[in-house]
Order: sequence, then structure tokens, then C-alpha cells
Amino acid sequence: MHFHMIIVAVFWFGFVDSRKIRGISSSYKRFFRERKSFLCIDGSKIIPFEQVNDDYCDCEDGSDEPGTSACPQGRFYCTNLGFRPHYIPSSRVNDGICDCCDASDEYNSHAHCQNACWNLGQRERAYVEGQMRTLDEGLQLKQQLIEEGVLLWREKQAQLRELQQVAEDLQTKLEERRSRKQEADRLKEQTPRPPEAGDGRLFRGQNSTVTGTFKLLDSNKDGSITVDEVQAKVALVHDEERVLSEDEAVIKDTHGAPGVGEDPPLKVADREWEATNLKKVEEAYDTVNMEISDLREKLAIDYGPDWEFLFLNSQCYKLKVYEYTYTLCPFNQVTQQSTAGTEVSLGRWGMWEGPPKNQYGRMVYENGEPCWQGGSRSTTVTLTCGTETALRSVKEPSKCQYIMDFQTPVACQPVLKQRGIHSEL
Amino acid sequence: MGGVKRSIIKMATFTGSMAPVLVLWLAMSLSGTWAVDKGNFKTCDQSAFCKRQRALKPGDSPYRALLETMELTNTRLTLQLINDNNKVRLLLELYRLQGNMTRVKINELKPLKPRFEVPDVLITEPSTEPLSLLSQDENGVVLSLGTESQRVIISARPFRLDIMEGPEVLMSLNSRGLLAFEHLRMRKDTFSYKVTSTVASVWDNIKRLFSSQAEPEGEKKEEADPANQAEKEEEEKVDGMWEETFKSHSDSKPNGPSAISLDFSLPGVEHVYGIPEHADTLRLKTTDNGDPYRLYNLDVFQYELYNPMALYGAVPVMLAHKAQRTTGIFWLNAAETWVDISSNTAGKTVFGKMLDYVQGSSETPQTDVRWISESGIIDVFIMLGPTPKDVFSQYASLTGTQSFPPLAAVGYHQCRWNYNDQEDVASVDAGFDEHDIPYDYIWLDIEHTDGKRYFTWDSHKFASPKEMLQALEDKKRKMVAIVDPHIKVDSNYKIHNEIRNKGFYIKNKDGGDYEGWCWPGSAGYPDFTRPDMRAWWASMFAYDQYEGTAENLYTWNDMNEPSVFNGPEVTMHKDAVHGAWEHRDVHNLYGLYVQMATAEGQIQRSGGVERPFVLTRAFFAGSQRYGAVWTGDNAAEWDHLKVSIPMCLSLGLVGISFCGADVGGFFKSPSTELLVRWYQTGAYQPFFRAHAHLDTPRREPWLFGPENTALIRDVVRQRYTLLPYWYQQFYHAYRTGEPIMRPLWVEYPQDPATFALDDEFLIGKDLLVHPVTEEGARGVTAYLPGKDQVWFDVHTFQKHNGAQSLYIPVTMSSIPVFQRGGSIIPRKMRVRRSSSCMTHDPYTLYVALNLQRTAEGELYIDDGHTFNYEKKEFIHRRLSFAKNMLSSVNLATDAEFSTGSWIERIVILGASKPSKVTLKTADGQESQLEFDFDASMSVLTLRKPGVNAGLDWNVMLQ
Repeated sequence: MHFHMIIVAVFWFGFVDSRKIRGISSSYKRFFRERKSFLCIDGSKIIPFEQVNDDYCDCEDGSDEPGTSACPQGRFYCTNLGFRPHYIPSSRVNDGICDCCDASDEYNSHAHCQNACWNLGQRERAYVEGQMRTLDEGLQLKQQLIEEGVLLWREKQAQLRELQQVAEDLQTKLEERRSRKQEADRLKEQTPRPPEAGDGRLFRGQNSTVTGTFKLLDSNKDGSITVDEVQAKVALVHDEERVLSEDEAVIKDTHGAPGVGEDPPLKVADREWEATNLKKVEEAYDTVNMEISDLREKLAIDYGPDWEFLFLNSQCYKLKVYEYTYTLCPFNQVTQQSTAGTEVSLGRWGMWEGPPKNQYGRMVYENGEPCWQGGSRSTTVTLTCGTETALRSVKEPSKCQYIMDFQTPVACQPVLKQRGIHSEL
Repeated sequence: MGGVKRSIIKMATFTGSMAPVLVLWLAMSLSGTWAVDKGNFKTCDQSAFCKRQRALKPGDSPYRALLETMELTNTRLTLQLINDNNKVRLLLELYRLQGNMTRVKINELKPLKPRFEVPDVLITEPSTEPLSLLSQDENGVVLSLGTESQRVIISARPFRLDIMEGPEVLMSLNSRGLLAFEHLRMRKDTFSYKVTSTVASVWDNIKRLFSSQAEPEGEKKEEADPANQAEKEEEEKVDGMWEETFKSHSDSKPNGPSAISLDFSLPGVEHVYGIPEHADTLRLKTTDNGDPYRLYNLDVFQYELYNPMALYGAVPVMLAHKAQRTTGIFWLNAAETWVDISSNTAGKTVFGKMLDYVQGSSETPQTDVRWISESGIIDVFIMLGPTPKDVFSQYASLTGTQSFPPLAAVGYHQCRWNYNDQEDVASVDAGFDEHDIPYDYIWLDIEHTDGKRYFTWDSHKFASPKEMLQALEDKKRKMVAIVDPHIKVDSNYKIHNEIRNKGFYIKNKDGGDYEGWCWPGSAGYPDFTRPDMRAWWASMFAYDQYEGTAENLYTWNDMNEPSVFNGPEVTMHKDAVHGAWEHRDVHNLYGLYVQMATAEGQIQRSGGVERPFVLTRAFFAGSQRYGAVWTGDNAAEWDHLKVSIPMCLSLGLVGISFCGADVGGFFKSPSTELLVRWYQTGAYQPFFRAHAHLDTPRREPWLFGPENTALIRDVVRQRYTLLPYWYQQFYHAYRTGEPIMRPLWVEYPQDPATFALDDEFLIGKDLLVHPVTEEGARGVTAYLPGKDQVWFDVHTFQKHNGAQSLYIPVTMSSIPVFQRGGSIIPRKMRVRRSSSCMTHDPYTLYVALNLQRTAEGELYIDDGHTFNYEKKEFIHRRLSFAKNMLSSVNLATDAEFSTGSWIERIVILGASKPSKVTLKTADGQESQLEFDFDASMSVLTLRKPGVNAGLDWNVMLQ
């Protein structure tokens, strides 16, 4: 009977002891169930149990003072009922600043801390809910953008293939033109005769076919073909097989007429026509090739596993911060324009530079306008999840080093969904 | 903070309508050199008076003492001197001052107009002591300086002054005949006068050829023959006496020549120190082969190391040391000053029977010093020691001691040009918590203002400064915002309007408000030499005047040399006008006044309750009374780290203890290694602030990987554990004027091995620090001074003998620091977010035993931020260990303060194992203490005495 009472007493005291140990989580309670002595959690030392939380650090690992500020390595557990529990460094216990929302860290200080856990919990729950909504919405939008991205990607690929086709065609034409010109030059040397009217007509006709191609491409009629024009018309040219084959036919006809190449010798005007035509074809060829390499370059950029960032390619986003307007054109460049109007490059597209876990979380733009003390301006863009695609903030923490917060649904990650409130109740 | 470079950036990014001179700077900056453009600053040769004076070579002095004019009262001797060349008379005053000092003043007997005498530097009119005449004959006078068989010998022909103690000459004045005094004169340069005077002087010369040797007596000749003098002036005019140009700037010099000069010989002295601010070694070098050391407060852009060029501040005080004695010279003059140092040259003539017993052969070492100033009078205080600490106390009795700062100011300061906005401030603040690094102050540089209008906030970036300050206050942290003395000329700016309306601006030579270029563009400079201006300025710090401020906002005064971007040598024109005086006369005082008025403003805003904290870049003798100084715009280079030690040591020697260098270096970006080493060094210097130029990448402590964050965290925490010791050192400096960071020779004055050491230093007398300042260092060699002394490594507790050079292997985490055996150092081991969070924390006492197994130390505690210590609200205790007993006794029984802090732990280094340890408290209670003994290092740790730190107690080891 007596024996039993002792057992009960020991159990009870042990229980009480562990209950009143300040600054530990329930999972650590098992370390504090001794009655007479305490073994430092790292096993380095045994101390009398009354030296636990006696405001003197005995254990190297700080485990004997979970509830005081005595140990430099120690940590204090804020239970924070109604909010998230967390650890704070021991040095924040009784320092006059409320760190735990349940005020448990300031049990012996002049600070008047209120228990704010419930309010914080409310706020956090509301915030998290908001975040979840954003995430849900964002993920849906992202799915759409991924679908669009895939389509866009295919379209671009098709465009590239078509451009390559045009290039091939143009190359064929170019070779023909070159050989014709060489022929003309050769004939000129052999028989320098004045041109005849009939031949001229023939060449004008010939010219008109090239001109036709040109006019087709030169949509703004400024007499030269720009990359944009080629890009815009290439699809047209190839889709309308009829036009193309007609052209080809004409070219073939002209070329294939047996008498033209051999007998009637070319006149000066013919040679000039020939040179002009060659030049025009060469120009067209160069332009198309430029467009191809441009497109290839763009397609070489990593737009994410599902091409979800592809839609940003031709977009630009602006934000005004104090006296400056910042423009981010993703995968292209970042600029800063002052109210006075001067525009400064803050960097051109560099690379993705996110952490391993979130590779597409950050982009870097480099080699902007040079800086006073050497180096050049650069911008780091952090992508965060949001329901809209917009530039949210711009900062310049160090001279010439800009950081941007860029919000877009495509930055939404399903993993975020797992976040929530863990509360030890 | 930046000098000229900053202007360039601003100008470039602002508008294109800037003065052409700034375009010139722009061009200079583009040239891409890092070093100072020496061409912007004068050499002695380019400074007309220096060139003139330096042209005088040692020889017979033209000055003669007119002994018959001597008047001796109980406390003062006056005597006229005459220059036999021009017959101008001077008045010599000689005082014996309390505390073993002699003051020598020399002014013109009848100056054309008054000459400037420096006000506001001496804390009071120094108390005099009786002088008595010992003997007198036609060759001179011997006066007794009271005790210690000290005498002053005034020799008449030529004039010379020797201060002796027993048979030993301590110091001689004008022994090399370099006393010079350019008397004020009328400008005589009209054509007719020139002709007349030339003819007259020719005639005079002819006359002189035929005249007898005996010349008529001085005064008569002076009156009868002004032509002779005029001739000289005609020559002198050529030397830039009435006008001087430097680069595109001209100095109108309406008062003409006014320079003064005097030489001092120091027999037996081989080491002289002081006269900051120079980026040079602790021990001053001889200047025979180059320029003299220059004292002229200048904003030097990217200053060069190891040369005598002037920098931001000037303290005209030199210390001379030899094993037996330390003396000091305080040359109280605020005009541009040059100091020549040579050793073993002329001036050893033994004259007359009065000096017959002078000992020493010609091989005796001697240092000769010569001071040259552009205007004012000769007013020199000769501090006769004999110990270094005597000199500190003598100088402190003249100009006061280091102000006692709030405890928080002794913590770590985080600065950058600039923290961009409130969000930036909040995120840096949070970064310190996240990485568990303590700090006390975060700083805002010029960009926080509304267009460089001081006393304002940028309305976008700092829209709610009070909220920001409250957020810092919630973490018990503080802020410093910059307030510079150049005021934007803008009729919509209240401060400018008030200063202009009150007529408080410095005037240009033509009487209008002086305007120069500085950060805001065109700026005026308030005349801080005016007491009414200073009072007004101080009132501007009131919470209802300086909007958006709170109790935890303090001030930084930069650019107060003053810096004028388009002025000569980047400062103010010397012919600018401060009331009755020219800027020439007061230049080196300007910065002192700015800090004085700012500190006063901070005191006033709290109703006289709270201690101020003001950092200044420019300073003068006496600036120690107003706050801290830093070594200006240094660079992220290893040599700049090294030179921070002698620069702060030199300042400490002349009273300015609260000194530090920008940790990390201001210009350029430090390597990670340099940054870590700089933190390790700065943590052991009095003012500990990291700062960085606007153009450099961020360098908050956590931006260099976890390893380096840990290294920096560790050293900042070391600083915080030592705050009780640092604070006690500040209290001691405030009480005694002794430097906090001090050269070894101050504590070991008889050990010549310490005399030139400036890669290591002491904090107080008990901690020796040898920072690692070499890139890639594997070890350092530290000299541990003191025969029969031992030193304990504070990290390992290893014991080392004194009087040896010790090689210490180092890693990146090493900071060689040693505690002197025989000392007790209190620490607080619970490092928290800021010093205020540690107020009630307990103390750990580190008792380092000497070979006699004794130790002594002190513990000082007060509220940490008010002036209540002046009302005796503090605890000051002596801790002593002897005969196996450690006891705490009250050192200030008339003082009273209560603390919640207690004694947590006692660590006794060099102890043996006791069998029993007994604590006895004031009420007679005895209790046993648990202890732990580490036999390998002989370290005894006493567990939790628990007794209140303010009470009597003792601990007995048995």
C-alpha cells in the first residue's frame, strides 16, 4: 500500500514537473520527466532536476533552460494556442519584446504583452483563404495559359517551318537569278550590243513576277521588306498555294523558255534588270533568314515545361514608382523611363535563375546601361502567383541592381495548396 | 558618406544645368583613378604663408626679450619681445596652470586690429598657479614653476624659453629661432608710394652704411623709419601676402599677411604622436623631405594613405614621449596649420651659466617641432606630464573629456548610403532578427530627405517616419538620420528662409550670403560661430519643429568641414565672413560648432534628460565633448583596414575616444574576407558602424553565405558580451580623459618595444587586441607587453607570458584578443537583439589572475541613457581578487542606483582547484557555490552566485 502510494506520488510529481516545464513543446516533455536529475538532451551531463529552468545554463546544448534566456544556444517554444506554434531563440525570452503571440515569452519582464494569437490566427486564416482562392483561380488561369501556350508553340513551330520553306524557295530562285546574271555578264562581254525593245518587255514581265513576290511581302509599300512583313505574310504566301505556284510557274516559264537563254543576246537594260532582280531576291532571302534565326532564338528560350510562359513573349508590363516608369518585356528587356523622358535599359533577357525547387521563380535581365562605378545595370524578376499578370513592385536595393516582383497565374504552383495552419491544441 | 564623388552622381542624374566646375569633376571622375587627386589640395609650397614661413631656416632669432618691460604678478608674467628686423613689438604672456602646465601666449603688442583668439574650446579659463622669480640679470630671467624644481628660463638675446626640471631640459621654445609673427599692416601698394619707398630705402641703405654700429633704440627707429619696413612689404607682396590664387580660386586677403610660427625642441624625445587627422602611422614621421603635416579640415575625396595631407578634422595637439616622461603641446589655433617635425637637428646651443648643468652630449636624441598657422595668435599649452595619463588629464582639464554616450551608441550601427525607403528599413531590421545578429542603430543617409533639405523626409519613400521609428522602438532599436550644415537655397524651404531672414548665413567677402555647391545644389552655410545661430539650430531639433521625429532618432553631421564642392580645396573661401572674423580664422572650428549645436538640440528636445548621440566628420580640439567621430570616406582595401588602427589611436591620444572607421570600407566593394576581417576589427574599436557607398552592392551581414554570416554574427555578439566593459571604459574616459582605445606605450611607457606599435592596441588597460588585417593571413605576431605580466587568450583561456612577441596561428574565425592577468572584466553573455534588451541581464565576471594571484576590475551600471548619472544615480564598484577572495566593494558611496542585474557566473583564469567555495553577502549570509574546474586550462567557473550586482559580497576559495 505504502509502496503504491510512492509510485503514485512519483508518477504524479513527474507529471506535474513535466507540465510546468516552461518553453518546451509536448514532444519534448518526455525529456523532462525525471524527478531527481536531468540528463542534458545531448547526453553530455547530468544535473539535479531543480537546475532545469533555474536561469543558469548547465547543458552545452542549452536543453536545461528551455524556458529562460540563460543558454546562448537555447530555444523557447511558443505554444501560441489559436495560431501557429513556433520556436524563438532563448535570447528573446524576457527581453521586453513580445515575440510569442500568447505572451508566454515575457513572463518576467516589463513588457505588457497581450495574447494576440486568436486575432493573428483569424487574420492568418483569412489570409491563407485568400491565398488559396488566388491559387485556385491562378491555377485555373494557368491551365488555360498552358493550353494557349501549347497552341502558340505549335503555331510558332509551324511558322518556322513555313519560313524555312520560303527560304528554300527563295534560295532556289536566288541560284537561278545568280546564274542568269552570270550568263548576262558573260554575254555582255562577248557581244556588247545596245538593248532591244522586245527583250525589255520580256524582262519587265519577268520582273513583275519577282515584284509580285515583293509586293506581297512589302505590305507597307515602302520598297523594302522588313522582318515583320515577312513574318506576317509568310503564312499567306504558303497558304495560298495558287499564288505561289503561279509565281513559280511564271518563273519556271521564263526560265524554261528555250530561246531566251541561248539566242537573243541580252542588252544593257536587261542586265540592269537582271542585277536589280537579283538584289531584290537576295534581300528577300536575307530577310527571311533573319526572321528564321530570330524565331529560332525565341523558340530556343525555355518557356517552362508546358510553354506556359510563352504568352509573355510579346507582352510588356509597366509600373510607375515615384518619378520613374518601369517596363518589363519578358524574355526581351527591362527599361526605366524618367518623367523627363529619358529611357535607360535595365537589362536584356538573360536566363531563369530560380532556386532548384522553383526553377521558374526568378528571371534575370543583364547588360543594361553601364553604371558609374563600372559594371552594367541588371534586373532580377521574381515571379509570384496571382490572378493577373502585372508588375507589382520595383526596387533598387543597390545602385544599378533592380529587383522586380512580377505577378502572374503561371507562377502559381499546386504545392502551395498544402500550406495551412498547424496548431497544437 | 561621400565627398566629391557623390556630387558627380547627383549632378549627372539631376539636371544638366550645373556649374561648369562640376563638369570638370565629372571629367575627373571619368578618368577612373581611385586615389585622391592631390592637385585639388595645396602643398605647403602652394599655401603662401606656409611657403613663406618654411623658407625661414633655423638660426638666430630676430626676437629679443625686453626684460625691462617684464611684469610679474602672482599668476602671470608679461614681457615684450621685439623683432630687431622690423622693430615690431610682441607681448608675451606666461602662465603657470594647475596640473603641471605652462601656457605661453604671444600676440602683437599693438595690433592694427584685434587678432583672433579661439573661443569655446577651453571648457573654462584655466586656473593658474603662482609663479615666482628665482633670478634675473641682463641675459634673462629664471622663474620657478612651483613644485618639482621646475623652472622656466627666459633668455633675452635672442629670445628663447626653456622649461627645465632639475638638470633636465623638458622643452625649449624658439631655440631654433623660428618664432615668426607677421604683424598686421596697412596695404601700401599705390604707385607713388612704391616710388617713394624704393628711393627712400635706397637712401636708407646708404645711410646705414655710414652710420655707426650702435643703432638707435627700437621704438624710436620704428617711428622714425617706416620706409625700411615698407621696403620689406614691397618684397613680401610678391609672395602672395595680399592676394593668393589656387587653381581657379582667388583669396582676396583684405588683412594681408598674418601668419605665426614657433619652434619647440624636445630633448631626448624620439617619438611624437597626435595632431590628427592624418591617414598615417601612429608615430609621426619627420617631415624634412616632404610636406609638413597639415591641419585644415577638408573633404578629401578618396584619401590616400601614409602621407601628411589634411583630412576632415584637426586637433592641434602633439604628444612627445620618452621612457621617462611624456609631454604635450596644445597649439590653440583654428586657422590652417602646418606642423614640421625633424629630429636631431639644430637648436642645442647651451647658453649662459644658467644652463651650464644641462646634461647630455650631442648624441642625445632630440625631436624638433615647428608649428605654422595662417592667422590668429600663438596660444600654446605645454603639458608637462610626466606620465601619459598626466598628459591626458592635463589636456582634459583644458578641453574637457569624452562625452558619455548612451549605452546603445556603443553597440553596433548598421548604415548604408542609402536605405531607400521605409520598407527597406523594415526588411533590413527583420534581417537582423532572422539571422539573430544584434544591432542598435540603423542609419539614413542624405537620400531620406526631401531633395537634400535637412530636417525633412522624402514624402514618398519615408511617408510615415514616426511609424517607422515606432516599429524600431518596438524592438528597442534606434535610428540616426543625417543633418548636414549646408542648407538648400530654396525660398519654399522653411529652414533656409529662417536662416536667411535672421541673417544667420556666413557672408561672402562682398557682404552677401555665401553660397556654394553641395548635395542640394546651391546652398548656404549657417554661421555656427554665432551663439544665437547655434541656439536657433538647436531649437530645430524639437519634436514639433523637426517633424516625424521621436526619442529614438539621433543625428549625424556630415560635410561640416565645411564641404563646398565648388570652393577652393572643396571647402569655403577663406575670405568669407563670420561677423568680425574671416573664415580663415575659424575654419577648423566650424565642424566642432555644428556638432555642438546639434548635440545641444538633442539635449534640449528631451528637456535636458536624455544623452545625445551625434556623429561628426569634421572636428577640432574639444569635439570629444559632443559625441563620436569617424574617419570619413575610406575605401574597401586592406590598407584602409590597417590604417583605421593608428587613425583612431591618434584621435584617442588627443581626447577623442569615440572613434571608428566605416566597417567594410566606404568606397568600393570589399571581398568577403576583407568584410569579415573588418567586422572583427571594428567590433573591437569604440565606434562600430558598417557603412557603404551608394554605388556598391548590398553588404548586410547575411549576404555572403551562411559561413560568413556566422563569422560576422559571432563577432558582433562578442561586442555585445563586452558592452559592460566598453561602457565602463566610456565612463572612465568621461571622467578622466584617458583614451579608450589606446596604444600600448600608454600603459607600458618604459618599454621602447611598444612605442611604435600600431597594428595592435589596448581597450582600456585590460584587453589587448591584435586584429587580423592581412589578406590570407595564417597567423599574426602580437607583442604582449609587461615583464612579469601574463595574458590570457579570451577565446581559449590559454596563458601567455608578457614581454614577448607571440606568433598566433589564425583562421577566419580568429580575432586575437587577450585579457591582462590581474584584471577583472564584466560581461553579459546573453546577447539579445539590442543593448536595451540586455539591461536587466546578469553579469559574468572574468577574473584573470596575475603571477601574484591577484586581480582588480570595476563594474559601472546606470540607466544607460539619461544624464541622471550626473545626479549620482549609478553603481560603481571595485571588484578585487586577493588572497583567494573575490570581493565587490562600493567605489561611489554617495551614488545610488538599483539594478535587477545579478552575478550569474564567475570565471577565474589561472586558478587552482578549490575544495570549497563560499559566497558571503552583505547581510552576512553564507552559502556554498557549485563550481567546475578545467584542469587543462586552469579555469575555475563558479556557478550562479546570484547576488545582485549592486550589492557588497565576497567569494572565498578554500
